[in-house]
Amino acid sequence: MARETFQTALADLRAAVLDMGELVVKRLKTALAAFEADDEETARRVLQTDDQVNQRYLELESRCIDLFALEQPVASDLRLVAASFKIITDLERVGDLAANLAQYTLSRTAILPAVGIPEIGREAIDMLEDALVAYDDRVAEACRVVTSRDDDLDAKCEQASSQLVRNLIERDPIAATGNLETLIEDVESVLLTIRDLERIGDHAVNVAGRTLYVLEGDPELVY
Amino acid sequence: MSMTQNDSPTIETTVRTTEEQATDRSQPTGRPVIEARNLSVHYGDEQALQNVTMKIPDRQVTAIIGPSGCGKSTFLRSINRMNDLVDAASVDGDLLLDGTNVYEDDIDPVALRRRIGMVFQHPNPFPKSIYDNVAYGLRIQGSTDDLDERVEQALKRAALWDEVNDQLEKSALALSGGQQQRLCIARAIAVDPEVLLMDEPASALDPIATAKIEDLIAELAEEYTVVTVTHNMQQAARISDRTAVFLTGGKLVEYDDTETVFENPAHDRVEDYITGKFG
Repeated sequence: MARETFQTALADLRAAVLDMGELVVKRLKTALAAFEADDEETARRVLQTDDQVNQRYLELESRCIDLFALEQPVASDLRLVAASFKIITDLERVGDLAANLAQYTLSRTAILPAVGIPEIGREAIDMLEDALVAYDDRVAEACRVVTSRDDDLDAKCEQASSQLVRNLIERDPIAATGNLETLIEDVESVLLTIRDLERIGDHAVNVAGRTLYVLEGDPELVY
Repeated sequence: MSMTQNDSPTIETTVRTTEEQATDRSQPTGRPVIEARNLSVHYGDEQALQNVTMKIPDRQVTAIIGPSGCGKSTFLRSINRMNDLVDAASVDGDLLLDGTNVYEDDIDPVALRRRIGMVFQHPNPFPKSIYDNVAYGLRIQGSTDDLDERVEQALKRAALWDEVNDQLEKSALALSGGQQQRLCIARAIAVDPEVLLMDEPASALDPIATAKIEDLIAELAEEYTVVTVTHNMQQAARISDRTAVFLTGGKLVEYDDTETVFENPAHDRVEDYITGKFG
């Protein structure tokens, strides 16, 4: 095969994107476990190591730009580099959302009833993992399965938000806390966390869509 | 722009076109100026082009790419009957210019070449002055009215006027390679052809001169139909609206919008060629 160095660089890029994905998934799982266990030390560690993902992102961004500039990829090679360039942005954002979850674990006051955040979180992480497997295995059908799960995740997130509001209406949480400001902060954090989990699902859909762009070339999927 | 839950990608199956199904997935949008219909060329027993069928649209740049020996230059030279000059060459099929088959018996090849200018890989100015090079075709045509103005216009269209307007009597051979190539373009367009054929027009030039030629090709396409052969695929991607890929055996394998050919070619063999995996 010609251009062996370039083909090796593409294989290395793919592996490095998967490594970054693995790191992000691991941090998400750690942050979610810390949330469930109310483990502040672990949550703090997730926050303190957020820079790992950012560094990985910058390194891969630079690698993609080098490939564009020096190798001028075309056809499926171009699609792989372009899609990877976008996927690492999704992964970097998911890394930020893991940090958000860790931050919420540290700041909450545990006065609000559970609304199913761990279950939603596991669903979102599962979608992201499946999208990364599809990117690794280059399987279009697996990409479509990921995207088809997004509506269900969105519905669960909406349901969780509604449940929280219902709880607030039906009970008297201010009496429980005695502090309106703390209550407002907690409610905001829960709603934002639900939104973050829903966005992890969106990023998983993006990863799947961009993988489909690599496989099938529909440019709509990479914009 | 990040996709959110509300604008998640719509995913539909993309069906790969097989080589047998089509060589031209999307027809060119402009009026076809040149149309090849089952065009085949032999050099003696050797077939250089095999049943090429394609339409080349007006005032666009069409790039012809492919590995050495694939027939791309043969195709280009078929358009203005340059292959007539090769004794062993024989042509089958039709090559239409504005609907008229250029291989009809009553077509004068010399008159045809006035309508179809050609620029070659290596600049080939005549050993004459800059002015006389550009005026050459006009004088042969007998078009000597407003000769100065027509020479000036051709040099301006070829983006050379500003560099040579005070030295028109200087020998063309004293110009740089890039300037000589633009002079050859000026010479070709001075007689106001409809079509410009370019056979690797920048391959012998440095990057600066190449960039000037590429810019010039884009400007020329506003007035002329440009067909260019190039080995430089990045150049084809930069300058052309449509790209035709010829592969071994003189077959046109794919012909489509340039973006499509370089981002998502229909044929695996084209993919392998443009990504450098074969060729």
